[in-house]
Order: sequence, then C-alpha cells, then structure tokens
Amino acid sequence: MSEVVIDNLGKHYGAVRALDDVSLHVAEGEFVTLLGPSGCGKSTTLFALAGLDRPTEGTIRIGDRVFFDAAAGIDVPAERRGIGLVFQSYALWPHMTVRQNLAFPLKLRKVPKAEQAVRIEEALALVDLTGLGERLPHELSGGQQQRVALARTLVFRPSLLLLDEPLSNLDAKLRHKARDWLKQLQRQLGLTTLYVTHDQEEALAMSDRIAVMQAGRIVQLDTPERIYRRPATRFVADFIGAGNFLPVRHVGHDEGGRMLVETGEGVRLVTAGTAPPGAGADLAVTIRPQHLRLSAAPIDDENRLTGTIVDRTYLGARHGYTVAIGDQRIQAESEQLFEPGAVHLAFRAEDTLLLDG
Amino acid sequence: MNIAVSRDPATGWPRRALTIQWSVALLTLLLVVAPLGPILWQSFLDRPLYEAGAVPGFANYVRLFGDPDFHAVLRNSFVFAVLATVIAVLAGVAFTLFLERTRLPGRNLLRNLLMWPLYISQLVTAFSWYTLYGPAGYFTLLGERIFGVPLWDMYSVPGMAILGGVTQAPVVYLFCASNARMADATLEDAARSVGAGPFRILWSVALPMLRPPIIYSAILVFIGSLETLAIPLIFGRPVGIEFFTTFLYSKGLGAITPDYGMIGAAASLLLVIVTLLLVVQGLLLRRAGRFVSVKGKSQRPKRIDLGMGGYVVSGLLALYLLVGVLLPMAAVLLRAFTTFLTPLLSPFELLTLENFQSIFDYPVHVRAIVNSVVIAGVGGLVATVLIAVIALVIRRSSFPFARALEYVALYPRAMPGIVAGIGFFWAMLLLPFIGALSGTIWILMIAFTMRGIPTAYGAIAPALMQIGPELDQSARSLGADWWTAVTRIILPLTKPALFAAYTLLFLSFLKEYSAAVFLYAPGAEIIGTTMLSFWAEGEGGAVAALSVIQLIITLAFVLIAHRFTRTHRDV
Ligand SMILES: Nc1ncnc2c1ncn2[C@@H]1O[C@H](COP(=O)(O)OP(=O)(O)OP(=O)(O)O)[C@@H](O)[C@H]1O
Ligand SMILES: [Mg+2]
Repeated sequence: MSEVVIDNLGKHYGAVRALDDVSLHVAEGEFVTLLGPSGCGKSTTLFALAGLDRPTEGTIRIGDRVFFDAAAGIDVPAERRGIGLVFQSYALWPHMTVRQNLAFPLKLRKVPKAEQAVRIEEALALVDLTGLGERLPHELSGGQQQRVALARTLVFRPSLLLLDEPLSNLDAKLRHKARDWLKQLQRQLGLTTLYVTHDQEEALAMSDRIAVMQAGRIVQLDTPERIYRRPATRFVADFIGAGNFLPVRHVGHDEGGRMLVETGEGVRLVTAGTAPPGAGADLAVTIRPQHLRLSAAPIDDENRLTGTIVDRTYLGARHGYTVAIGDQRIQAESEQLFEPGAVHLAFRAEDTLLLDG
Repeated sequence: MNIAVSRDPATGWPRRALTIQWSVALLTLLLVVAPLGPILWQSFLDRPLYEAGAVPGFANYVRLFGDPDFHAVLRNSFVFAVLATVIAVLAGVAFTLFLERTRLPGRNLLRNLLMWPLYISQLVTAFSWYTLYGPAGYFTLLGERIFGVPLWDMYSVPGMAILGGVTQAPVVYLFCASNARMADATLEDAARSVGAGPFRILWSVALPMLRPPIIYSAILVFIGSLETLAIPLIFGRPVGIEFFTTFLYSKGLGAITPDYGMIGAAASLLLVIVTLLLVVQGLLLRRAGRFVSVKGKSQRPKRIDLGMGGYVVSGLLALYLLVGVLLPMAAVLLRAFTTFLTPLLSPFELLTLENFQSIFDYPVHVRAIVNSVVIAGVGGLVATVLIAVIALVIRRSSFPFARALEYVALYPRAMPGIVAGIGFFWAMLLLPFIGALSGTIWILMIAFTMRGIPTAYGAIAPALMQIGPELDQSARSLGADWWTAVTRIILPLTKPALFAAYTLLFLSFLKEYSAAVFLYAPGAEIIGTTMLSFWAEGEGGAVAALSVIQLIITLAFVLIAHRFTRTHRDV
C-alpha cells in the first residue's frame, strides 16, 4: 500500500505561511501534479513528504505508516522513509561515476554486490542509459543527467516517487520528449508519483489529477480535463491560460435555464454553467482566444461582440489579435489576416465559463 | 516544537547523528574551556589554584593595577601594538595597491617574497633580525664602524615595532588583496576619464575602497602584536622592556615561586582585551558587509599602468623586502654555518659545521626535531579531521546548538599562545585526566589543536557552504543518515579545502613555540622550545642551525604540498 495521505499540513516561517492547511490524498499508482506559480509552496510540500523539511503542523501518512505527526511529535527522518526524490538540479554527486551514484542507495540497503550490478543495469536500461555507467556526471548532457537522477531514485524501488520540476532545466524540445517518456515509465512501473511543476501544459499532459496551489494553499484539486474546462477560481483560470476575462453582470436565465449576462456595453451573452457559489451579480466571463471567431462582417451566432483590432502578432500558423471592446482588451486568434479596425467576434456558450468577478 | 526524533525506535539509543554531534560539541567546548576556566578562576584566588582553602576575591587585580611595573607593561604593549599596526598596514596596503591594481614589473616575485614571514616562525624572524640589526648585529657594527655611532637601537619599542610590522604586513596584504581583486575596475576607469593620473587613482579611488579590509586586518595585527612573545623576549627583556607576554613569561618561568594570582589576573586581562577587540571587529565587519558590493559578473581586473614610475616603485618594494626579509634570512643561513658573524672578518674564514653538530650529537635535540615533525604531521592530521567534523556539525547539520558551537570554535582566536599554554598547564594541575598527559607531546598537540581550530575552520567552512544543500539532501532521501551523507558525499567534495586546512595546521604546529613554553618537559621538547633554551644559554649558532632546520622542513613541506595540489587539482 502506498496511498499518500497529507492532512492539514502547515509550515510557518515566523509570520510567513509557506504552507497553509494543505490536505491531499493520492491513491496508489496515481500521478498527481502540484501546479502553481513560483513561491506557492510546491517544493515545501514535496520536501515535507521526503522528510527534508520539517512542517510546523499536520500529518503525513503513507500506507499505514505515519511519517509525520506534529501533535504526536512523530518525525521519521528522511533516510527511513523510503521515498524517492528527484531534484530540480538533479543533485548527482560529481565525484562519483553514474554507476557509483546508482550503487550508493543499494549499498546503504546492504544489497549483495551481485544483485547490485543486476539492479543497476536494469535501472540504466529503464532510462535508456545502458553503457554510460562509467561516465562522470559532468560528462553527460542535461537530459542524460536528469535520467541518471531518476534511475538513482528508481534503483532502490521507492514506495513513492517525488519529482521537483525535473524537466525545467531541459530545452523545450527535449522537455516534450522527456515528458512523454516519463509518463510512460510511471505507468509501466505503476509508481505513485507526486510531480511539481509551474508549467501548466506539462501538468495537463501528464497528470491523473492536478492540485493547483496559490500562496501555500491548494485552491483546486481535479482532473486535468476539469481544471482546464472548469477552473474553480479566477486565479486557476488565469494560471491555466484561460486568457480573457470580460466583466459582466448577471441578468437572468434563458428558457433552457442557461445564464444570461450583460457586458458593460449592454450586450447580452448566453453562458454555460452556473455562477460559482456565493458570487454576487458581478461576474467575469472567460473565453479562450482560440474559441473566439473573428470576422469582418457580422456573424450570426448566439453570442456576438463588436470591437476594434488594436494590435496584431504573427504566431506562425495563425495571427494573434488584441481587440478593444469598450475599455476591455481581449486576445483572439485566427488563421485569417485582418487589418486594424472594426471587427466582429462570436463564440459559443459552451466555450464560456463564469467566474467570480 | 516537539523534538522527539532523538531516539532510534529500533534500538532505543540516541541516533548516531545526534550522538556524534553532541560528542563533537562537548569535545570542542572542553578544548576551549580547559585552559580558559583555570585562568579565569585563578585570577580571583588568593593562592595557587591547586591549594586547598583558597578564598575568591579581587585582590589579584588590585595588586596588578597597583604594580608600577605593570603600568609600564601596559604602556609598552600598547605603544608597540599601535606602531606595529601602523607599519604593517602601511606596508600591506602599499603592496596591495601596487601588486593588485597596477601593472608593476616583477610583481609575482615580490608577492612571493612578501608572503615568506607567514611561513616562518616569528622566533626565527626575530632571531634573524637580531643577527643583522641587533646591538651586536652585522649591519649595526658595520654602521658603527663607518659612522662612529650606532645608527639604530633594536632594543627599543619603536625598533621592535618595525620588526612586528614587517612580520605582520602579509596579513594586511592577504585581506586587502582579495578585496582589491574583486574591486570594480570601472570606478577607476571613470576616474581616469575625468583626467586623474595613475597615482591619483590609487590614492583617491582604489585606497578608499579598501577601508573595510584595512580596518579588519588592522585589528588582527593589533591583536597579533599584543600576543607576540618572540620579539619582546629577544629585544625587550635584555633591557627590561616588558610586554604583556614577557610579563607572564617572567612571572611564571623567571621566578622561583611563580605568582599564580598575578599571572591569572594579567592573563585574564589580556583575554578580555583581545576578546573585546574581536567583538569590535565582528561589529565592524557586519556593518562593512552592507556596503561591500561583490558583483556576480566576472570581469578581468584592469590594471593601471605606472610607466617609468613602475620601476621606481618596484625598486622601493624590493628594497623593503631585501632589508626586511631576504637579508635577515641569508644572515641566519650564514650564521648557522659560521662560528660567529662579524664585519671584521670574512665569514668564509669562519665556516664550520659545529652548530649542527651541537644539535645532532645530542639525542635530546634530535628528539625535539622529531617531536616537532610528529606533532605537525600527525597532530595536524588529527586536528584537521576533528575540525572538519566540527565544521560539518556547524554548517551541514540540524544540530540545535550549531550557532553556539561556532562561537566556541572561533573563540581560540582570542587566546594568545602563552595564555593557552598557562591555561593547559593549570588544567593539568587541576584535572587528573588531563594531568596524565603532563610531560608528553600529547598535551602539546591538544593545545596546538585548540589554537588551530579557527584557522582550519576558516579554510573548511566556506568550502562547505559552496556545496548545494541538495547534494546531501538527495543522499538523505536515498537512505543515508546524516553521518553517511556528510562523510560519503560532502567531505570528498571538500578535499581541496581539507588539504589546505592540513597545510595551514602543519605549518603553524611546526612553528608554534609560545603555547609550548609552559607545557614542554624533558622528552617532550620541540624545535621552538629548544631554540629558546639555546638562546637563553647564548648559543646563537645553535639557534641559527635549528632555524635552518625548521626552514628546510617548512620548505620541503610547502614544495610537496604544492606538488600534491597541482597533480590533484581536479579532485
Ligand atoms: N527559510 C525561509 N524563511 C522564510 N520563508 C521561506 C523560507 N523558505 C521558503 N520560504 C517561503 O516559502 C514559500 C514556499 O517556497 P517553495 O520553495 O515551496 O516554493 P515553490 O512553490 O517550490 O517555488 P518555485 O517554483 O520557485 O520552486 C516561498 O514564498 C518562500 O519565500
Ligand atoms: Mg521549488
């Protein structure tokens, strides 16, 4: 059993709350990503799990073993937790060869020499590095170093794998490849994994569930699909790249029960879903740039807006536009080329989302 | 916070990490308190500390401050320290500016020569000056013959201060030079662009930037001057000019019944003065840190071109080194191989090996040399290991009292050698388990180790801090406990610093003498104490021969160490 249960975890540095009441349950074999901007407490959570950073409150349990319980004064030291942590900087020991790096955790566990060799070969094969065992870390590329770091962690068969932005030091292309490869490996091994990143694309592509963090708290814990389609707060929506926020007022419902809202210019829009609980009449409607259709002529659709193109950027296959609607600016994308000036916009109700204004 | 991690659930014993950390902390504390405690305690007792029925009080201090001799001691010590500091700072700063900020001809050679006094025992340097510039010195007599009157008097406070300044100028240079190398050259370029000449730039731009390291090193030199025993012993005591250190020396070793109370009070006073100076230095350094800007961007330091002036400056600096360092060393060498040295006779008529025979013919003296080498070689190694672990506990562990331990570990800076010697001597009288070491070279090793902690720590701690925390954290998460992580991962990565620390300790143990004068005993002599005995007997030739032997060992060690670091550069 390696289900991870984190309850009410807190970490305070004086008045600074690096972690504030964080609770998270990760099922066996699940891949959960902690996503959030710099300084939101992702690493702190991971280090608390690994036993390298002592929280000030809460409990951490893996399977039936309690690793940390502030109230009961339990704090199992890092070396007894059997949790594998891969560092952002890889933390390979520069004075040891790849093989020696991998042998270290096995030696500590008194694995017999013969078995060590077998397991090291296995681990190297797993990360496609067979034959590089005698190299020193500085003789490897960044991507290879990252895979050695992973192999060094996998070689002792941890009950839980923690990855702290393992791909952030790789270039964009390699990052893409490494991400697919890592995900595949995790599925293959069935390893419970907690992954930290501030790259939303990475999180969406790899995770079973995503925990979005903000200022030491988990603000939404959901599947990638739901995080993307139904961000719970404006912060999540913004972070996941929702793009446009148009302030609106709630004015009623249509016959199908969908919500009707009105922009500052008095344009009526039909939206999908309901307003978040506790929201007042002031709301914001989000529409992703790629869901906005642009046209020189008026479009016949349920949601229509008119605006002025004030800026255009060439994005390769498409063009990006900044459109002024009243005193709001929104981003739109189109394959068609439009000149600056008046433009019509349209979008479908199901592509919208209502959030607290 | 609840600290319930101290016991191992499997065995019920405290964890290995905490056991090691506490042991090291207590051992360090013992090393420092063992000499410190008896001195402070004795300073308040009305009779020797080993006698029963002593009553604590302030009588010793009252006697000390009432003693007119001691007033002279205070005056001499401070005048000497101030003068020596001024001279060391002037020389050190001049060398810094010209060697580090200008394109001076021959600057590498000058730099190497300047550093010599750091490797050489002050006892040897003082003796070398005595041979040349002492009252019967070679140059003194030569000058007297030509001009009819002696041109200088080394048996005076200013005379001694010149020597004190020259021996400590390298300290000032070391601190200022590292600062000057990092200085932002664009400031000097800016001065040049508004029309300042090279000397003007040095004076108005480069010099003011050195203020923090100058203040810092000036305090170090001042402390060093208060601590020196060799200079006043050789040049002051013969004419009754007593310093703090010689006062302690005379009261402790010169009298038939040592005045314990007086020694305790004087030693305590010296401790307090030096401690206060270090506190002031610490405060100044903290304030200085705020406006020293070290730039991340690496830049090649641009050097100022002095033109023809460079040759003049080079010549002047070379002259200083010739007179202050090179000629005295040559004189010792010559003195070691002659029956005596005088301008009246050519030294080649007086050549002899007798001086070396008077050492090698006596097993006692050979043993002194062996002892010195063993103390430096083995003791230095043990001390390096111990201090490395101290540094690991302070810098790379979650030991709850790491900061306090750092204060303890750095405190020996405030303990002059002779005071440490007296302290350990008294500790042996007081504590039976230390007393068992009496008359062995172990007590010398222990005393030298205590004195060496700050030096070696200063070499190791910065290296530890340069290693990212994730390197031991990763070891921990892979299953290593603290001790395994630091010894298998961190120590191998600090090899160069450990080696540097060992080199420093070897050299300082080899030349140490002041901490030994109260501790050595028959069978446990070292080169320094044997030199002092020869000196007391007026055996100048034997002193010179021992000096040469010490220099040869130093030179051999430095060469081997240099070789070793060259071939092991990549570790
Ligand atoms: N020693 C400390 N004292 C005070 N605050 C600290 C300390 N260490 C960390 N913090 C704060 O805790 C918060 C969480 O830090 P953490 O390293 O977990 O962020 P992160 O989400 O991993 O960010 P990044 O993406 O930049 O790695 C930060 O705001 C940081 O400033
Ligand atoms: Mg982080």
